[in-house]
Parts: sequence; structure tokens; C-alpha cells
Amino acid sequence: MSAKRILGWTSVLSILLFGMAGICLAQDIVKIGAYLPMTGAVAAYGESEWAGIQIAKEMEPEVLGKKIETVLVDTKSDKIEAANAMTLLVEKEKVVGVLGEAISGNSMAGNPISEAAKIPTVSPTATNPLVNQGKQYAFRACFIDPFQGEVAARFAKNELKAQTVAVIIDIAQDYCVGLANFFVKEFVKQGGKVLSTTYIQTGDQDFSAQLSAVQAAKPDVIYAPNYYTEDALLAKQARDLGIKVPILTGDGAQEEALLKIGGAAVENMYFTGHFHKQAATSARAKEYIKRFEEKHKGKEADAFSALGADAYFLLVDAIKRAGSTEGPKIREALAKTKDFEGISGKITMGENGNPIKSMVINKVEGGKFVYVTTVNP
Amino acid sequence: MPGASLFGGWRLMERTRRNALLNLLALLALAYALYLFDRYGTDYQVRILNNMAIFITLAVSYNLINGVCGILHLGPNAFVAIGAYTSALLTMSPMEKQMNYIIEPLMWPFSVLNAPFLVALIAGGLLAAFFAFLISFPVFRVRGDYLAIVTLGFGEVVRVICNAFQSVTNGPLGLKGLALHSNLWWTWGVAVVTITAVSKLVQSSYGRAMKAIREDEIAARAMGIDPFKHLLMAFLISAFFSGVAGGLLAHLIRTISPTLFTFFLTFNLLIMIVVGGLGSTTGAVIGAALFAWGGEALRIVEQPVQVAGLKIPGIPGMRMVVFSLILMVVIIFARHGIMGRHEFSWDWLFHKVRFGAARD
Repeated sequence: MSAKRILGWTSVLSILLFGMAGICLAQDIVKIGAYLPMTGAVAAYGESEWAGIQIAKEMEPEVLGKKIETVLVDTKSDKIEAANAMTLLVEKEKVVGVLGEAISGNSMAGNPISEAAKIPTVSPTATNPLVNQGKQYAFRACFIDPFQGEVAARFAKNELKAQTVAVIIDIAQDYCVGLANFFVKEFVKQGGKVLSTTYIQTGDQDFSAQLSAVQAAKPDVIYAPNYYTEDALLAKQARDLGIKVPILTGDGAQEEALLKIGGAAVENMYFTGHFHKQAATSARAKEYIKRFEEKHKGKEADAFSALGADAYFLLVDAIKRAGSTEGPKIREALAKTKDFEGISGKITMGENGNPIKSMVINKVEGGKFVYVTTVNP
Repeated sequence: MPGASLFGGWRLMERTRRNALLNLLALLALAYALYLFDRYGTDYQVRILNNMAIFITLAVSYNLINGVCGILHLGPNAFVAIGAYTSALLTMSPMEKQMNYIIEPLMWPFSVLNAPFLVALIAGGLLAAFFAFLISFPVFRVRGDYLAIVTLGFGEVVRVICNAFQSVTNGPLGLKGLALHSNLWWTWGVAVVTITAVSKLVQSSYGRAMKAIREDEIAARAMGIDPFKHLLMAFLISAFFSGVAGGLLAHLIRTISPTLFTFFLTFNLLIMIVVGGLGSTTGAVIGAALFAWGGEALRIVEQPVQVAGLKIPGIPGMRMVVFSLILMVVIIFARHGIMGRHEFSWDWLFHKVRFGAARD
């Protein structure tokens, strides 16, 4: 090895050591961290939520007389990176609270770290019931899968007047499996009957086997709580086979892409969801929607960005009520959140940091998502 | 001359003793560095070092198949998954298990099994090796691209089973609430054991046979080497250490789900060993260390910067762009990776210092 190469390696090693050294910053600002999937498989969620957080920050840039600074760290939609990102936020950035992660698996990697550091977290959209289980410092802005499944079951039974149902589940997604399970429990409890349960996998293109089982069973409603691509294809193939019964699904399917792929086949598809523009009537929500649509021309305010904003508002509100930026005090305030007017509705923190809030039901009509009704908890 | 060979023998013995001493000193230095980080380092540094050690274990064991035996195996994610799930199921407390399995309860033998961390890690490794044994029969019937596809398929099968076998793995919900067992001593301890075991194996006659198979299988067979036996050996050892590393990973991030063990994990390992140098254990160590540290260090390029009053917002994903550029540079200027097929050794170092200094 020549002296030059040794020099090269030494410099690499020294960058290694110095790069890892922490940086301290002045404390005239309140730092809020966000760890979100800005790249990777679910980057779309991270982007939407970050857009919502930024608008929320424009609306409320200060707390306790100090400027709020948001620090964004990418998680690459990955657990290892999520844990790294959370450690970085807690330790290097010294944030007072953290927003994120967008998906449940990554939140479960981040939460043990924030819990140990006594830093409260508010996830916009981690809906898996395990995420906050047994955690003191973990909160969220969305309702959890069991709640969504239950409300969907009651809606199917009472509003759609369904006695029987066929369930089609994407087995590769915790979200879909969770929703379907809690739907079935509640539907049976209400006196309904599940005629068939069939499984699909994310990425499947052909659902004829599952649909022929549905066709034979002749249910009143199909419950397919899957993501938009699968649901759009599923609806298309169901209509081609002559299955006319309504399809009910969850919030994961409510994406513009569903309309593009599904076309006429997705007409009259019902969704249980977190947010619809028309259901958002508070002054804060109107202001938010106005700002969002000014900033992102041609885009409608969606559920992900609204929940991102709500996570921010919930945290800032808690800091305000706590009158402090200490983790345990913010945590107490967050847990006591009551009837908070968020973008996605009135939020009251229930057990385990899971909010109790109203749910909106939307449907596709004339190639658009239309608001149907609000179901209160 | 008998004197010369005697002299040579003495030199060899002396060198072996010197190297053993230096190895010991290097280990002590590593232990001291770990102690310092454990005591005074920040959690962030410790986390990166833990990731680094786990990646080193994975890369070194993966390199044994891909680099030393010259077999394009694309399913280490399966072995990592098996090790992670096995050890997680063994260390989780019955109460934690009950809380996790909200949709379908955990199947009987697993719901009562409980073991200390070391036993859980070894069990994870052994089960991974057992699965490696089972699939080795179909896998080693084919070679080249076909073998790559078979192993890739196995990786996917294990992931799908993790998703579907809800009463064992909790399906896509994943497991959470694992105890934080992995610390610097565990992760680096396993890494050191793996490096030692793999390099001893590679230097042994078995290792030479594996290299012979890599260079020309037919010629190796003609020399009396049984390819199946040697490949199976490498495969089992590699799977064992991958499984152990999976257990360490699970108890470091404290939650696992099938999404952690996709093909991307394999792909990252492949990048590490190619950048380090296929076939070089030293290279695998360097590649893994650079990968674990580099990914975090490059976050700098994603942060918003203020240049002369102009505020440039950070662009998420920028570090992947920089990372790919670095990869390209490495592949263009060092076609065989950083180390090629060379290994670090004390002899090499002394040789370089002595003759390199004279030349400069």
C-alpha cells in the first residue's frame, strides 16, 4: 500500500469518526421530528403526509412563543432505517416530539426507542392495533383497524341492508387482514352471515377463481378491504362476470388511481375512510383545505395529508396545553386530548393513545369520490 | 541446504507466533473500542455499530457461497427470516405472545416455549441450517442462473409462508415487543466468531476445494473433490450464521414482519460483497461496514442547506443517488471490488510496510 492510499484510507476513517459525532444547536426553537417513508415502497404516503405537515406548520408556526422547526428524516420504507431515523431524531436532533411513521411495521421499529427516551410520537396513519399496545408515549391521529372493520360491518348491516357477505382479503397486507377479521367478527355479532372467504395477494392480476366462489355464494355485499390496484381490478372482473352486488372497502382503496384503473366498474363502490373534503366543516379544516389547494394546484386535499396535518396539530396543541417541551408533560397533555377540532374531525384520545373519532363513508359516483355520511363512534 | 530449510521453518514458526499475538492484540483493541462506545458513545453511534456488525456477519457468511464457492445464491433472506422468527418465538414472554396474536392464537408448542437469548440464537441458526439442508438437494442439482432462480424462489416461499402461517408467525401483522438483547458485545462477538470460522474454513483444505469448484467444477471433480459435499458444507455454515444474524437483527429492532425479509435484503447483501470484492472475507467486512455506516452518513446530502442566504430544501432520496454514483465509481475503477480476491493478513501488511516504504 503506497503512502497515498494510506492517506486516503485515513481520511475516510476520520470522516467516519467525525461524521458520527453529534451536533448541538441553540434552544430558541422547538424542534419536532418527522420520520416518514419519503423513498421506497410506500413513498407516496410519506410524501402526502409531509405535504400536510408543512401546511399545518404554515398555519401554526409557533408554540410557547418559540418558532417550530420540523426535521424530516427518510426511512426508505424500511424497519432498520426507521429505527436509525428515530435514534437520530431523538439523540442528535433532540426533538421534543416525533411525527410518524406512516406505516405500522416501521412505527413498531421506532416506538421502542422513543418510549425509552420518553419522547411522545404521533403517527398519522399507522392503523395496526399492535403499534401502541403497551406503550406510554405512542399516539396516533387515525383510528385503528378494529374500529374501521366494526364500523364497516355496521354500515353494511344497517345502511346497505346486507344479510350475507363474501369477504376477499389481500393476505400479504397486515392492514387488509386486520380489517377483514374485525369486520367479520362484528358482522356475525350483528346477526349477519359470511358466505365465503377468499384470499388474494398484492400484485395479483387474475381474480376469477375467487370471484367464481363469490358468484356461487350469491352474497348481498362483497367486503374487499384491499389496496386500490387490487380492488380496481377485482371490481372490473366482478362486473365482467355479472356480479352486481355493492363492493365495500376500506380507506386504502380510496386513491385517484382506483378511478383510473377501474373506470365504470368501480361506480357505487363504498369506502370507510378517515377524511372527505365535504365532511370537514370546522374553520381549521376549511382554512387547511384552502391552503392545500392553493399550494398543490389540481390536487384535492386527501386523507393522508389531512392526517399528517392532524398529527402535527395534536402534538402542537399538547405542547401548548402542557406549557412545556418536556416529554412526560407533553405525553400527559396528549393523553388528555378531548374534542380537538382536527382536519379529519373531532379527536378524543382514548385508551393506549388510540383516538376515538368519527368516520366518513364515501362512494364513487360519476367517476368521483362522493361523501355519503359520517358515522360517529 | 538443510540449514536454509531449518532456518525457513524457524521463520515460519516465528511468523505464526507473531501473527497469533497480533490477532490477539487486534481483538483486544476491538474490545476496548467497543467498551469505549458502549460507555461513552451515543445511542445513534451504538446503533450504527450494531447494524454494522450484523451486516458483517451476514455479508461474510453470504460471501462464503457467492464469492468462495462461486455459486449465485439469491435466498439468504429466507435464512435470516427463519433465524429471526425462531429466536423471537423463543425469547418472547408468554404474556407478550398473547398480546401479539390478536387474530389467531399462537400454536401450542410455540406458545409455551421459552429459552435464553443464546439458546434462541443458536436454535435460529440451526433451524436455518436445517432448512438449508432440505433445499440443498434440489438446489445443487442445477448450476448458474438456474440455481439463482431456485434460491430466489425459496426466499419468496419463506416470505409467503411467514405471511400465511398466521398461527405461528402472526402473519403480516408481525411481532413486536421483543426484548432488547442485542448489544455491541453480542453483535460484534458473533461477527468475530463468523469471520474467524469462515476464514479458517476458507484457508483449510475444504476451502481450497471450494475454490477449485468455483474455478472449474469438472477439473475439481477429476481431482477427486466431491462438489456436492463441499457445497453443502458451505451452504449449511452460511445458513447457520445468517440465521444467527437474523436473531440478532430481530432483537435489535425489536419487531419483525415479513416485509423485513424481502429480496431487497438479499440485494443489499449482494451489493456489499460485490463492492468489497467477491471471494474476499476482508472485502465482505469492508463492504458491510461501508454500507451500514455510509447509508447514515449520506443523510447529510438530504438535509436542507443554507448557501449565502439561499435556502435549499433537502431532497429525500438524494443519498440513494449519491450512493449509486459511489457504487458506479467503485465498479469502474476497481472492477473486482475494493479488495478483489485479496485478503488482509499480517504477513501482507508487514511485506507492504517493508517494501512499500523502500519503494516510495
